[in-house]
Amino acid sequence: MSDIHIDRNVLRDLQEVMEEGYVCLLETFLDDSDKRLSQLHEAKSALELGHAAHSFKGSSSNMGALALAALCQQLEARVKQQPLYGIEDLINQIDREYEVVRHLYAEERHRVSIG
Amino acid sequence: MPDAVLTVLIAEDSATDRMLLARIVSKQGHAVLTAENGEQAVALFAEQRPQLVLLDALMPVMDGFEAARQIKALAGEALVPIIFLTSLSEEEALVRCLEAGGDDFLAKPYSPVILAAKIKAMDRLRRLQATVLEQRDQIARHHHHLLNEQRVAKAVFDKVAHAGCLSSPNIRYLQSPYALFNGDLLLAAFTPSGDMHVLLGDFTGHGLPAAVGAMPLAEVFYGMTAKGYGLAETLREMNAKLKRILPVDMFCCALLLNLSFSRRMVEVWNGGMPDGYVLDTDGGEPLPLVSRHLPLGVLAPERFDDSTQVLPLALGQRLFLLSDGVVDTSDDNDQLFGVERLRRVLVANRQPELLFEEVLGALEAFRGCCRDDVSLLEIGIVDPDALSPPPMTYSDSGQCAPLDWSSQFEFRADTLKRFNPLPYLLQLLQEIHGLRTQSGALHSVLNELYSNALEHGVLGLDSALKRDARGFAEYYRQRNERLQALNSGYIRLRLRVEPQGLGGRLIIEVEDSGKGFDVNKVLGRPLVEQGLYGRGLNLIRRLSRHVEWADEGRRVCVEFTWEALA
Amino acid sequence: MGVISELSQDGKKLTIKVKGRFDFGKHQEFREAYERNAQPASVVVDLKEATYLDSSALGMLLLLRDHVGGDDSEIRVVNTSSDVRKILAISNFDKLFDIS
Repeated sequence: MSDIHIDRNVLRDLQEVMEEGYVCLLETFLDDSDKRLSQLHEAKSALELGHAAHSFKGSSSNMGALALAALCQQLEARVKQQPLYGIEDLINQIDREYEVVRHLYAEERHRVSIG
Repeated sequence: MPDAVLTVLIAEDSATDRMLLARIVSKQGHAVLTAENGEQAVALFAEQRPQLVLLDALMPVMDGFEAARQIKALAGEALVPIIFLTSLSEEEALVRCLEAGGDDFLAKPYSPVILAAKIKAMDRLRRLQATVLEQRDQIARHHHHLLNEQRVAKAVFDKVAHAGCLSSPNIRYLQSPYALFNGDLLLAAFTPSGDMHVLLGDFTGHGLPAAVGAMPLAEVFYGMTAKGYGLAETLREMNAKLKRILPVDMFCCALLLNLSFSRRMVEVWNGGMPDGYVLDTDGGEPLPLVSRHLPLGVLAPERFDDSTQVLPLALGQRLFLLSDGVVDTSDDNDQLFGVERLRRVLVANRQPELLFEEVLGALEAFRGCCRDDVSLLEIGIVDPDALSPPPMTYSDSGQCAPLDWSSQFEFRADTLKRFNPLPYLLQLLQEIHGLRTQSGALHSVLNELYSNALEHGVLGLDSALKRDARGFAEYYRQRNERLQALNSGYIRLRLRVEPQGLGGRLIIEVEDSGKGFDVNKVLGRPLVEQGLYGRGLNLIRRLSRHVEWADEGRRVCVEFTWEALA
Repeated sequence: MGVISELSQDGKKLTIKVKGRFDFGKHQEFREAYERNAQPASVVVDLKEATYLDSSALGMLLLLRDHVGGDDSEIRVVNTSSDVRKILAISNFDKLFDIS
């Protein structure tokens, strides 16, 4: 079930690369993502929205959050086509998807920190 | 070669990506600097000078494109590779990265393997650029150094080369300022008797090797010319010297002239230079001065041929010499400009002062572009009074001068054949300070007396032969022939120096073993009729204070006097 | 190869053929052509396929001459084109070499 949301191979690789920094990376991602989400909601222009989506896409792809990255990419592409009518739907989907992966990353952090 | 340890600047606004990338890069052994936006990145770059930059394209405050531009500007000529970190997929965005100075891309999600490979590749590029720059700077330094050396060498050489009379009013020349380093050499100097020696030479090769031989050659040329040596002795000395000092495959093509403006004749020796020309005032057929000898520095002294060609000259005629760059100029089809094209230019010339321009113009038209490495020289035949040979310079203190002596010489056949005693005698007479203001006249007169005694006296040559150009050549042919075959005869020379009041006088007496001549008859001829062959006697009468012949023309006595020295 | 050398069966005559431009670029090859063999009694320099000759080529001929005995050497320069002959004539190299 979780493999639709997160690529486990990516997580394994990340852990191997980051070693003892892995937990910190997971925390940073969660922290970072909260900021990106607020940027998505508070964006005052299509440009700001696009940049936020772009950055979020980048970090989620690095973290193996495949579905989230795909949704961010859709959003990034969508903001280039005015009018932005119906774009809230897409943002809500991102919210929901992030809600799912947030739990998964929290579990992962827990798993790693208890060894 | 082990992988280099680099300092890598990472500029990325996403904390996650920054952390991950920093970890990947430092695990590969590099030092890492991180920035959160473009502005920080530029500041860090300026401060730390990292060797490689990983730049996110979209960042707050200052984006990656602007940061890339500023970093490239700060880096100057050194290559600081910039790898854009991006998941930009549209072509337009990628083009913007390149235009801003990006060297490569790295897509998200990051692959450590690909990143390591890219860093390595960029490092190779960076080193290559550094090597190229270093070599370029080294070449520039060497070049600068070389130019400076050439400048110094040229300055020294110019002191030697231009010690002569290239600035005389009847000489025009064209030479590249760095002709010395093309092996081209142009020298001219007055002899003590007011004749002019000219050398146009061309050493084999280019650059320093070609320039090296020029210095000793110029020294010999000027030294011997100033001492009153003739072309033959000077040529022998130059050849022997070059043969001794140059490697076997180096030599110097040279055309030498001894121009006598008072006797209106020129003595020519051409070894390996293109034909020079005697040009007429009326645009007639140019008379070529053909190369008849091997270049200087090829033959051992005992095989060297110093025989010269003697030609009569007329007022207004010009001698035109040139370096091989003219006839050797080739066009796009490897066709040479050649002697015939040059001859046509010479014949077509109507205004002498435009000759150089016409020759260069013809070369340019033939080749399609101009040349700056040819040497051209033109010498006008003028009245000797139009020239002003510089006063002789003496290296002694000017203090004591022997004033009361006499000396006598007898030169017999074997000596006359191969030895010219005049330079030694003139050297001796230069010790008389009171005579120094008349040294030109003294040299001329002594020259005339000696050659009259030798040619008309000992060798019995008829000066009437010299009435026209053909006879002139015949005269000098016979002179050589008879001199070679000479086995008897003599020239006696007596010098007497005595004080007279506060000044003094020099009496020169020359006696030969010849048949003598009817002095009154020769001197009685009208000047016009004396033409080419009577000039010698007139010259003697004009230049000395007193002259008288005795013993049926076999003995002549000439007197020079001087007043008290100021 | 711009310079080809060939020693006669009896080892007495060395033939050196120069192809293309005979200038400083051939220096090394030309030198090797006569230095690698024992000293021959006579040398023939064949310029049939030489298109051009400059003053450094004249220098190389002088080196060859020096190598095989100087004044006592026997060197023939054959198959010279009219342009090449002109260059040799200006320098009066016919006084040192048998040119045809």
